[in-house]
Amino acid sequence: MGWLDTVVYDNITYYHLVFFAVVIIAAFAIAKIVSVYLKKTMSDRVEKSELDTLIKIIQVGIILIGVYIGLPRFEFDLADVVLIGGTLTIVIGFATQKVGSNFASGLFLLLERPIKPGDNVRIGTVAGIVQEIHVLSTIVRDYEGIYVRIPNEKVFTSDITNFVTNVARRFEYSVGISYSDDAGLAMGVIYRLLEQHPFILKHPGPSVFLDELADSSVVIRVTIWCPSEVWWSVRTEMLREIKKAIEAEGITIPFPQRVITFANAIPGAGKDKERVS
Amino acid sequence: MFGVYDYSFQWEDERVSLGVERRGALHVYYRRSQSGSVEKIIKGENGNIILNPVEPLNLPKEITKYLEFHFKPVVIQSESEVTIYLTFPIEIGVFLQDGINYTAIDIFSFSPQKYSLYGTSNQGVITRHVETDVFDRIPKVDDPLATGVMELTLKNSSRSWVEVTRAVFDNISLNLYYDDFVAMKGQMEIFSKSVAETTTVARPLLEGMKASINLFVARQISLSERHQFMMENGVGD
Repeated sequence: MGWLDTVVYDNITYYHLVFFAVVIIAAFAIAKIVSVYLKKTMSDRVEKSELDTLIKIIQVGIILIGVYIGLPRFEFDLADVVLIGGTLTIVIGFATQKVGSNFASGLFLLLERPIKPGDNVRIGTVAGIVQEIHVLSTIVRDYEGIYVRIPNEKVFTSDITNFVTNVARRFEYSVGISYSDDAGLAMGVIYRLLEQHPFILKHPGPSVFLDELADSSVVIRVTIWCPSEVWWSVRTEMLREIKKAIEAEGITIPFPQRVITFANAIPGAGKDKERVS
Repeated sequence: MFGVYDYSFQWEDERVSLGVERRGALHVYYRRSQSGSVEKIIKGENGNIILNPVEPLNLPKEITKYLEFHFKPVVIQSESEVTIYLTFPIEIGVFLQDGINYTAIDIFSFSPQKYSLYGTSNQGVITRHVETDVFDRIPKVDDPLATGVMELTLKNSSRSWVEVTRAVFDNISLNLYYDDFVAMKGQMEIFSKSVAETTTVARPLLEGMKASINLFVARQISLSERHQFMMENGVGD
């Protein structure tokens, strides 16, 4: 085992390197064990996002302790360290400008917190659910289940739309009914339907009003507030239910129509003007 | 209906039938009602089934922990207090118990649900909306499996008259008690027309009432538990 005392650089021997490696590997192993233990024991008592943050802090702490234990064995000459460190800093600084930019953006994102894991967001052209926010990048799972890694610099400088930051959101439908149908009846049917749905908020309440006398139909506008957490399921469900409810009352949703008036008589029509609709 | 039962438990009325059946080596919990059917296989020999009223914040899906009462305006003089009685919908929780451990296996209700927003969409909270009359004494409840009673003490600590039409409670502080009917006690201290603090009182409305399991506390221990709710978006419409 005499090779362990062989000097690698200055007064650093193979023993120092092996010791450092063993301590770091042990620190990683302990961090992993602690993480698994915490997940097993605390997952039913602490929110997942809070638990993940807690685990990360503990893991980083354990690894830093490992580095602290392992490093003094190198017994660096401080002047050498400053010289080497300074040179490395300049080299790494030039080589990793983008990394530094992403790192700084990551810190700003953590401070500003426009998004957090679990949020439904659109970042630039990517829409999906935020999975994780790392120091250098943000991981999004888009609505097709695809893994998307976005560098934090790009996240920070892009337009961010967070669909769930606000607890409630509004959406609307336009429902066209035939001119021959009773618009008051249709609005009443729709309003009663909305009142029955638990997640269509009481305050601010839904609004149902005559919005437009369009070419082919009378347009009823329906605006609905509901909890952001369930808005998509409510939106898809209610459109189907509205269609079903107004059709059950004999109200028709017309096809586009045109009334065409001919200036000259059509041969064989027997009238001066023939109306075709 | 509420209470502790063994696995021979069966219960039925015109709206729902529930109980535990023995199927070979297994027990099967079942509930059949107009709102749907539930069946769950239970592995465990010495447990109990507990039926308790639970806070009405779980159906059709748990999306909030706030309960908001809306009632006729109550106008209160400065530096005075009044006790009123309100009604609220209840949900029924079915728990499996083994010693001090219990878990909810089913929740159902005979009351329709409706949710609302207290405050603005960016700073407010989603609430379970409860529309109620105001009573000066404990009202008689027609359907004790659907409706409970809340005794609410309103205290006006502000320097002017205040009109109160709503009260919002944080779920974690809800303490339900039951006997012939379900009840809870609450307090609301009003500091101004726009700020008030609410909390419930961990004491039964009538002597002899039994404490119900707080479902929210049973499910999780939050890192940031709050037992009061600060109403900062007004006490009136």
